[in-house]
Amino acid sequence: MTTPTTSTNPSTTGAPLAAGDTIPAWVLPITPTLVVSTAISTRDFQDVHHDRDIAQAAGSKDIFVNILTSTALVERYVTEWLHERTGDWDTDVRGIAIRLGAPAYPYDTLTFTGSVASVEDGVATLQVTGAVPLGDHVTGTVKVAVR
Amino acid sequence: MNQPSAAHERIMAEAERIQALGEAAEREARDPVNQPTINNWLEAMGNTNPRWKAGEAPPSMAQVWTMYGLGGKPPADDPLHGMMKVLTDEGFTAVLGTNCEQEYRRTLTVGEQVRVTTALESVVGPKRTGMGEGYFVTSRNTWYVDGADGDAEVVATMLFRVLKFVPKGAAS
Repeated sequence: MTTPTTSTNPSTTGAPLAAGDTIPAWVLPITPTLVVSTAISTRDFQDVHHDRDIAQAAGSKDIFVNILTSTALVERYVTEWLHERTGDWDTDVRGIAIRLGAPAYPYDTLTFTGSVASVEDGVATLQVTGAVPLGDHVTGTVKVAVR
Repeated sequence: MNQPSAAHERIMAEAERIQALGEAAEREARDPVNQPTINNWLEAMGNTNPRWKAGEAPPSMAQVWTMYGLGGKPPADDPLHGMMKVLTDEGFTAVLGTNCEQEYRRTLTVGEQVRVTTALESVVGPKRTGMGEGYFVTSRNTWYVDGADGDAEVVATMLFRVLKFVPKGAAS
């Protein structure tokens, strides 16, 4: 599998989260199988997420990633990085707020980048962007409980 | 704005009526939170977090449990779909998800039965956007688990915003 943290970040491993910390980039190749399997696994059967003929007839270039998956991939990106930082999986995600932009189509690469925006009152707010060649597919924030 | 004001007034009157319904269209999840559904999601997402094999469900699956499923349809009193129909009937035929903001009070555990309500939060427009002229429709979902003592516990919430619009180039 592709892990989001192929580059090491030794200076911060184990350290408390601090504003300005960067999350190593995660490059995820989008395939038809990914678009279809993720949409169905979220119980989203809208045809534009699995039927290219219908998606194109509706004016889309191809099928595209559904919103529940965009949220789930943001969750994965952040929690795998926190796992690398802390050595455990105990960090709780409190919220994920995303704005949707360019669609993510098969054969795009979806590149996640992020950083710690703030740490206040026991909650860290992480800023995350997932970009495709057309522009930002998703931008948003993830709130995690600081331990 | 070139939308006739009569249409705007009809839209906003319907918005006010539907907003006044508050939390409505309550639905039960088809299945309790269960491991096979979690496993399918983990495989598709490439998520290897071992917590999701040990009795907890991933936070962002909250919405998955109450999805309509294949062929499922929203109930007639669903505030979001009711508002969408109002706008479709006024010519705002296209739809685009723009924002999704989920908050998780705790992780769900395998075996829990979840239910969800939908409320219409706001309708804002008409706005000219890159996609065409339309209205931003924001709904709020609240997911509950009922405790043994009968108390309803909020486990997750979601603000979901769509742009309901007349595609550029479409005849108005």
